[in-house]
Amino acid sequence: MKRPVRLEAGQKLVLTANRLLDGRTVWWSAEGTWVPHIGHALLLDAEEAQVQLAHATEQAQHDGVVGVYDTAVQDSVPPEPVTVREKIRAHGPTVHPEFAVETAQ
Amino acid sequence: MSVPVGHYQYDRIDRDFLQARIAEFEGQVKRRLDGTLSEDEFKPLRLMNGLYLQLHAYMLRVAIPYGILDSRQLRKLGQIARRYDRDYGHFTTRQNIQFNWIRLEDTPDILRELAEVDMHAIQTSGNCIRNVTADEYAGAAADELVDPRVHAEILRQWSTLHPEFTFLPRKFKIAISGSPNDRVAARFHDIGILARPGEDGAPVFRIFVGGGLGRTPVIGEELFDSVREEHLLATLEAILRVYNAHGRRDNIYKARIKILVQAIGVEAYREAVEAELGQMDLEQYRLTPEAVEAIRARFAVPLLEAPDDADAVLTQQRRDDPLFDRWVRSNTHVHRDPGHIIATISLKPAGGIPGDATSAQIERLADLADAYSFGEIRITHLQNVVLGHVRKDRLRDLWLGLSEVGLAEANIGLIGDIVACPGLDYCALANARSIPIAQKLGARFADTALQAEIGALRINISGCINACGHHHAGHIGLLGVDKRGEEFFQLTVGGRAENGAAIGTILGAALPEDETVDAIARVVDCYLGRRESGETFLDTLTRLGHEPFREAAYEAV
Ligand code: HEM
Ligand code: SF4
Repeated sequence: MKRPVRLEAGQKLVLTANRLLDGRTVWWSAEGTWVPHIGHALLLDAEEAQVQLAHATEQAQHDGVVGVYDTAVQDSVPPEPVTVREKIRAHGPTVHPEFAVETAQ
Repeated sequence: MSVPVGHYQYDRIDRDFLQARIAEFEGQVKRRLDGTLSEDEFKPLRLMNGLYLQLHAYMLRVAIPYGILDSRQLRKLGQIARRYDRDYGHFTTRQNIQFNWIRLEDTPDILRELAEVDMHAIQTSGNCIRNVTADEYAGAAADELVDPRVHAEILRQWSTLHPEFTFLPRKFKIAISGSPNDRVAARFHDIGILARPGEDGAPVFRIFVGGGLGRTPVIGEELFDSVREEHLLATLEAILRVYNAHGRRDNIYKARIKILVQAIGVEAYREAVEAELGQMDLEQYRLTPEAVEAIRARFAVPLLEAPDDADAVLTQQRRDDPLFDRWVRSNTHVHRDPGHIIATISLKPAGGIPGDATSAQIERLADLADAYSFGEIRITHLQNVVLGHVRKDRLRDLWLGLSEVGLAEANIGLIGDIVACPGLDYCALANARSIPIAQKLGARFADTALQAEIGALRINISGCINACGHHHAGHIGLLGVDKRGEEFFQLTVGGRAENGAAIGTILGAALPEDETVDAIARVVDCYLGRRESGETFLDTLTRLGHEPFREAAYEAV
């Protein structure tokens, strides 16, 4: 069962997953593709997110991703995940600066 | 090819089996990529081959049976780190190595490269009997009574792909030691085995069951005091059968053998094992002296020759060089041969990532093993590396070689020798990051003279309740918890995995991440201020109780 999403003021949802081939963290973009940079993630309201999540989950095999879910972000440019876990997924491990996900241009 | 020192020599059958297994997995990967297999179908198959999906990539866990490698194997691990990972390997508390940046597509090729040096990733995951761990000083330590590797290998062969035990209620971990000084945390394993010589010279085994960490830490209880060698396999088989039949499969948190032993009591468990033994065909499981000898013959014995003055040379070198002397004090252990010594190489540089090694360091370790220790390397359950048989008069040269690649840290058993799991920087199950706390603590106590002054003090850090960093067993333990998406750490004190195993006591409410290092520094200061001469941290803690340490930890909060 999906837990109900409670967004606070200034927050939106984004969809995320891992790429099947190499496990890289990816984000659902406005173009309907999975991209490695959270800067290109599509920001969604709670209701839109449910629709897009169902769609993206159905398409996961076709799109080459696994484990699709939604997560809250601050509605900023670029969006910043709310939890430490998703921050680390978005930016890479904090302990190897050289492994950080390059910022989106 | 000559027989490797320290580990068992594979034969044709072993190698053909590995090739078949890789071909099978390659087919599964293909079918996953083309969509024939769904993720739900594929996940258990990849886990059986040691492949996890973590936060940023796949992680491959490679088995190192009883923690022993030869230099050829270590070099291969270095090459894999360079070629398929981001130039690092991570040594774990299960005496394995993990690669954190693996691509699914590359995995069959990696497994093929591993098979070239008789290595694999089987039984590193899933509800089977996992890689058997053993004393890192096996076959070398002066305090050893029985070399546990021969029996570790017998257990490896018995447990590998055992048809009855492939789908146990939960994972199953076995550790074995042959020294009166428990260096394997025997009482924190599903089965812990301590070997010693019996009256007729053949070894007998003291067996503990139902130990474990994780959500419900439990100290293993003694099931049998003296199992004879011929009945070792039958006894283990019976213990596992009882668990397989009665362990809970309905609730993952209650599925480990420790919960079963707690539920029915160790006496009832013993009776059930004895009843099972009563109806087993013991002949079928009898471990004959000939069978044991046949395994022993597949281990080469190092030719321990040293000049008569080896010990005197070392003594003089220690006198001449205080830095070297400090390293020898903390990082060596007495060898059974007077001309040799055991060297532990710290993978805990101050401010570094516990257990991480670069491909260059890994390859250098392989070279040093060839030059100084018969090409043999051991991985410790505290995420360090051991060269087991170093000539005393050559120890300083080894130390100089280690210094060149940043591996001469003098902190084994001291506060800088921190054990930490991968935590939230990599692990999909984590609540908090373990590594940055380890790095900050390492930097805070970087001064090796200060570390020596503080004395024996183990810090263990886990990023969640699964306890991969053994926090319950740390003299000071840290457990990462998640409070509304933020990282907090719960502190425990007084755990220990050695003789007199104990589970740490929680000091109080979890602290925010940025207050944790200061709190630990105050706990250490409290100890330094109040210890009596000759006391270790645990001694002072035992004498004073937790209260002063609790007060110190929460003083500023
Ligand atoms: C990064 C991926 C990892 C995952 C997903 C993982 C997962 C788990 C889980 C779920 C448990 C609890 C099992 C239970 O209580 O039934 C566990 C226990 C354990 N893990 Fe890991 N682990 C990981 C990495 C590691 C590493 C790197 C080490 C060594 C440093 C390690 C060593 C252990 C040990 C020793 C236990 C046993 C604790 C016990 O007795 O219950 N794990 N792990
Ligand atoms: S203790 Fe938790 S965070 Fe650490 S490696 Fe194990 S599962 Fe991951």
